[in-house]
Amino acid sequence: MEIEEMQALWSDMSNQLEQQKKLTNEIIMNMTQERYSKKFQTVSIIESIGAVICFIGAGYILLNFEKLNSWLEISSGIITLSFYIVLPIIILRALRAVKKLNILEKNNKETLHEYLLKKKKLLMLQKYSIYACFVLMFAQLPVATKILLNKDFLEIPKSIESYIGLSLVLIIAIFYARWGYNYYVRLTNSAEKILKDLE
Amino acid sequence: MQREEKFVRIIKQHEGVIFKITTMYTDNRDDQKDLYQDVVYQLWKSFDSFRAESKISTWMYRIALNTALTRLKKSKRMGNTISIDRVVMQQTDNYNPEFEEKLKVLYTHIKQLNVIEKGLMLLLLEGKKYDEIAEITGLSPSNVGTKISRIKQKLTKQIIKN
Repeated sequence: MEIEEMQALWSDMSNQLEQQKKLTNEIIMNMTQERYSKKFQTVSIIESIGAVICFIGAGYILLNFEKLNSWLEISSGIITLSFYIVLPIIILRALRAVKKLNILEKNNKETLHEYLLKKKKLLMLQKYSIYACFVLMFAQLPVATKILLNKDFLEIPKSIESYIGLSLVLIIAIFYARWGYNYYVRLTNSAEKILKDLE
Repeated sequence: MQREEKFVRIIKQHEGVIFKITTMYTDNRDDQKDLYQDVVYQLWKSFDSFRAESKISTWMYRIALNTALTRLKKSKRMGNTISIDRVVMQQTDNYNPEFEEKLKVLYTHIKQLNVIEKGLMLLLLEGKKYDEIAEITGLSPSNVGTKISRIKQKLTKQIIKN
């Protein structure tokens, strides 16, 4: 095959492609929007799984709520339930708002501005939810001991081992929370970079 | 005319170009579709900065080639990875095996080139003049001339060998 033959063949292919146009306006704009939304696909799946686990936990506590007797158990139960139900909903809603940002409706500067607002809200919520999780860790102790072991948390003898165990859980939770938060920061920064490139 | 309408019109006019570039730089249909989507997205992103100082096609080739090269760098799959089952007919119902076979041979030759040479070869096949190739690639016209002459020599050797 000579170079000239290649050029002729390429030209034939180009002509054929010209006649085979198949993109619609909708496909083109969807491609653009999808590219942006894809950035948040993984984190949405992780958060959704987390939400389902929380809802299952909430359902389990609700089913066993009558077992909680003392003021500590009842108030801890209410706090735990609220966290299990409200927190995932708030986070998922904030995440959805960032993900559903319509990058086609506005110009680039407006899009970036809107994104930054939503990002700020999402990260702030994420930060608060981490603090909330630490409160939740302590709040669910009386609930868990009552429902799972049928024992009053205040009356359980506290051994050295239980304190060590609790400290270990706390340390792991701190590292996990830091990792989770940094993951969000990285993710939102990378999406922000996409939008900043527009400028 | 609205921004979105303008963009869609331009993409529709040049969809063949995007198809050719994305086919050149990918090795399977899924990757090709993904790169196609990426190119359209990058074009939309830079659409506002396009000031009609250069031709639409020049802007489009530049963005599409850059996107393909960036993607290759990211995936670290530089070089000879094209294995094409159907080239043109991915977009049509009128499948012509003889024509496809010839296209496969053409792509087989092009795939032996490195990533930069592939881009230059594509622009040459598209009938671009050296000045325009220089504008798209950022190389000087004389450098384009030198590289293209090397590519031609390389291809001629390949063709003789086969």
